[in-house]
Amino acid sequence: MMIKSPPYLKKGDTIGIVCPAGFMELSKVAECARVLTEEWGYQVKMGQTVGGKSVNYFSGTDEERLRDFQTMLDDSEVNAILCARGGYGTSRIIDQIDFSGFRKHPKWVVGFSDITVLHCHIYRNHKIASLHAPMAGAFNDAGYISRYVQSLRDSLEGKWAKYNCEPHPFNRQGEAIGELVGGNLALLTHLLGSDSEIKTKGRILFIEDVGEYLYNIDRMLLQLKRAGKFDQLAGLVVGGFTEMKDTERPFGSDVYEIIRDAVAAYDFPVCFDFPVSHGKENVALKIGAGHKLKITKTRVLLEE
Amino acid sequence: MDRKQFLGNGALSVLAMAGLDRINLPAASDFIVPPTLRSGDWIGICSPAGFTTPEEIAPAVKLLQEWGFRVKIGNSIGKRNFNFGGTDAERREDLQAMLNDSSLKAILCARGGYGAVRIVDRLNWSGFRQSPKWIIGFSDITVLHSHLSRQVAAASIHSKMCNSFPDDWSKADDIQVASILSIRDALKGVRFEKKIPSASQNRPGSGQGLLVGGNLKTIESLAGSASDLLTDDRILFVEDTGEYRYSVDRMFWNLKRSGKLDKLRGLVVGGFRLKPDDPGEEFGKELEEIVLEKVQGYSYPVCFNFPVGHQKDNIALKCGVVHELSVTPTETRLTEL
Repeated sequence: MMIKSPPYLKKGDTIGIVCPAGFMELSKVAECARVLTEEWGYQVKMGQTVGGKSVNYFSGTDEERLRDFQTMLDDSEVNAILCARGGYGTSRIIDQIDFSGFRKHPKWVVGFSDITVLHCHIYRNHKIASLHAPMAGAFNDAGYISRYVQSLRDSLEGKWAKYNCEPHPFNRQGEAIGELVGGNLALLTHLLGSDSEIKTKGRILFIEDVGEYLYNIDRMLLQLKRAGKFDQLAGLVVGGFTEMKDTERPFGSDVYEIIRDAVAAYDFPVCFDFPVSHGKENVALKIGAGHKLKITKTRVLLEE
Repeated sequence: MDRKQFLGNGALSVLAMAGLDRINLPAASDFIVPPTLRSGDWIGICSPAGFTTPEEIAPAVKLLQEWGFRVKIGNSIGKRNFNFGGTDAERREDLQAMLNDSSLKAILCARGGYGAVRIVDRLNWSGFRQSPKWIIGFSDITVLHSHLSRQVAAASIHSKMCNSFPDDWSKADDIQVASILSIRDALKGVRFEKKIPSASQNRPGSGQGLLVGGNLKTIESLAGSASDLLTDDRILFVEDTGEYRYSVDRMFWNLKRSGKLDKLRGLVVGGFRLKPDDPGEEFGKELEEIVLEKVQGYSYPVCFNFPVGHQKDNIALKCGVVHELSVTPTETRLTEL
């Protein structure tokens, strides 16, 4: 399966911003829009779901969110679509999105968390690369100067990713080559059995999550395992698992111990504490692109 | 055109999967139905998931004995490994010993919690097949019901567990008493029938099929696994507790998108004690709307507020046994056939 890479962005290209899931105030997207135009040299087309008039959880009705995303997808002047935030709601519209125009003229779809639904769906069904990367909120409070948001800029410009991170005592050494897939663990399990289910055979999988109970992390890893998602995996990249919750009586293992134990029976390389997460540490990862994962005693390298 | 092609491929692969499943899908008549219990029969109690103590199960033991049964208390009762009723190995060995024990006619799980999925793949069902027995429980025990339905083709009882037996039977209220007595009725082979007044958002109709179901979150967590619940031509019941509306919505999307709502004979929605939305994050849809929008386009009956769930009113249901669901504007009736 050959993965198609959308064209990289040039100065003056247009980035469409939408909220396919949860609501986000326009003021919280303003800094992102400013940086994209003033600092990075792009134009911005603001979707109607950004700071819309919705009064509930969602950024608009299913129809409004669908139409906004569809419009950006089909707009030949839009070169990339940045999802301003995740939350919940992409699953409600994914089966109605028409990707036929996008297949002919691919563009970068950018985001993470709930946007994992789009990444998995696009990769599985349309074989087009997309960007798991920081969203609008990460630009605020000078966040855009961090290496994490800068890595999104680099990726959009076509610089090949090369990320190093510190070794973790639980790392399992080795080298893997394969297409990079992954995202938010809760969403990856939620998609199992559906048309958007993740493919992992021969691939490098990355996972991250936020705000889950430890027992639920254990259950989700068992689900991936029981669904065969670790059977022929080339490598595993474990990102940040932030704001974990525990039951009154503790689960008995911390989150990295749970993950280490869940993959103990396999021999693919595994690294922990990779900078992909709901925290600040969240580098842009090109889903679908071929990557090399190299884990040695002294360092971890993930490169395109 | 590309989209059509994609949809076509999707439909094909779903059909291919369904076809494969159908080959493996046992007919209702092939399901093992464990024998009815008589006075003097043995019931085992164990903890395949969360921990419990001999003191906590004492009221259940006493009542089972008053019903005329003899009780065997498993080694996992009183064991603790953090929240689990012993290590994975201890819980598995205890349940396995009971599955193999031909003197037992039922296995009552002491409580749910979390942990059944950690041991289910290592259970051996050959002893159970030789001497089938009722496996009883709900919540996390949905793992066992679903696995039994998918891999063993055996009936089981979805009901309250030891931790819900009232400490003082004489002070229990009517609903509690009815829920607990329904377990005895199920074990003793009393034909199940429950009639309740219809909820206003019910969808009328009637359907027959094997009854399957349980805790929604647990059913979702089994998707893609060897215990994945098959629902074609079946009546599905679901319940859950403590979940946000958005999370319940997402779980119903998983059911829908994995094809589990396509060919139902009926949908029974039990209790859902929802977690209130966080301020400023109002979901905007109530449970009934969340469910009904997923089953639009199908014609099978749907009922709400059925007495099954994490609540006092949680009557024993026989999974893997053919039932009829009849929903009229005034009455909802679920009957064992």
